[in-house]
Amino acid sequence: MKSELPWHSRFDLLGVTFILFLLGALGSLPAIEGSGRSLDYWGNLGRFASRFFPPDWSILGRTIEGLLETVQIALVSTLLAIIISIVLSIGAARTIAPLWILWPTRMALNVIRTIPSLLWALLAVVIVGSNQLAGVIALTFYSIGYLAKFFSETFEAANTDAQKALRTLGASPLQAFQYGLWPNARPVIWSHCLWMLEYNVRSASIIGYVGAGGIGLHLKLYAESADSWNKFSLVLLCILIIVTILDLTGEKIRKTIRDKLEGKNSL
Amino acid sequence: MTSPLLTTQGLGLRIEDRWLVQGLDLSLNAGSFVAITGPSGSGKTTLLRTLAGEIKTAEGTVNYQLDCPTRLAMIFQDLQLADGATALTNVLGGSLGRHSFLSTVWRFPHQEQNDARRLLTQFGLSDKADQWTSTLSRGERQRVAACRTLLTRPLLLLADEPVSSLDPNLADRVLTNLKNSITSRNGCVVCALHNDEQVAKFANTVLRLDPSDPHGWKMENINQDEKE
Repeated sequence: MKSELPWHSRFDLLGVTFILFLLGALGSLPAIEGSGRSLDYWGNLGRFASRFFPPDWSILGRTIEGLLETVQIALVSTLLAIIISIVLSIGAARTIAPLWILWPTRMALNVIRTIPSLLWALLAVVIVGSNQLAGVIALTFYSIGYLAKFFSETFEAANTDAQKALRTLGASPLQAFQYGLWPNARPVIWSHCLWMLEYNVRSASIIGYVGAGGIGLHLKLYAESADSWNKFSLVLLCILIIVTILDLTGEKIRKTIRDKLEGKNSL
Repeated sequence: MTSPLLTTQGLGLRIEDRWLVQGLDLSLNAGSFVAITGPSGSGKTTLLRTLAGEIKTAEGTVNYQLDCPTRLAMIFQDLQLADGATALTNVLGGSLGRHSFLSTVWRFPHQEQNDARRLLTQFGLSDKADQWTSTLSRGERQRVAACRTLLTRPLLLLADEPVSSLDPNLADRVLTNLKNSITSRNGCVVCALHNDEQVAKFANTVLRLDPSDPHGWKMENINQDEKE
């Protein structure tokens, strides 16, 4: 006899959240309104897009300078964020920190994550003025919110067997962390860092819009001056190239690390 | 007459409600190699972990006559290596108990590095020293774990099936190394083994556990001198 599962067994957490999501999205549709006027959407898009072409190559030198500054902001802020996040993540890892450190650290990280990068940039510009330092400060804070969370989750998920074994073989708790847990977490932590660097290059391209240095300032100038959309498009093209290169190299490095950790190759 | 490094009196081991061993009187003498045999589930690992102090005794007592608790070390059946570290670093982990955090935070002392490399060479792993352990085979990882434990310089070595993934020749080589390095400093090896040939070749004493009867364990002496 064929025994069937009861009908409600399909409604596990996954099923229920998916249905809630679908209901929420469909229920929100009536709230999304256009201008109400009859506009020639496709014609507008066509006219606007045509002003992007051909890109104006005469500003290539200036654009590359701006991009370099953007990458520098991303590099410095990612490095600072990594250093601070490693310390904070130890406080936010359930398997390492006691509760009275765990919850305040996690709350602080939640607060940091709530603030978007553009708002951090505005805050930093108000405090240190319109320059690259503002960009570094903004992206450092923004990255800490994510990196410290990723790192603490990595520490929690990492295999602790070696750490325990070293403890029984006479190592101190710090030594067991350094030589037992850290080597297992390090490859995953490094791939998070690479992801954050990619992300920060993208973010650093936009925070200049509010004066925090980098290529974003160029975007703002071209967008606000008349008939400069062909310059705007060149900047976008350059950002696209940089981000694609970073994305591809990041992915390649992450795959190599993953394979090595799973023992698929013997580099 | 050699003095014992560890004795047990009326030792009982239990997992949940099932008794594995009861009434075990054991005396681990300096210079001896004790093999523990028995089918899977007969309590070999539980006995070793109890002797290592990781599990509390269900009844009876374990008495240590070691000058320092770090003179007892164990080779774990599930190895417990750090996958993202090199074989050499894993082995050097065995030396951490002798050094402060600050003296090992950047690198290990030269003497320890030389000792670790020498151990890896003895165990046929000199060309794997700088590879991540995740990229090594099970048999190679097993030898890395053995080297790490030996680097703690134990007097009482507890080994849980340390050669289960090795071919007979390599297994003999590893057991010879383990036995020589421990007995040469008048220590004792307690080793869970499945292979009767290895037991006959290396052990002075064999403890056979019986999974069906907690009182059915048997202790036999094997005279290694006669064979030689």
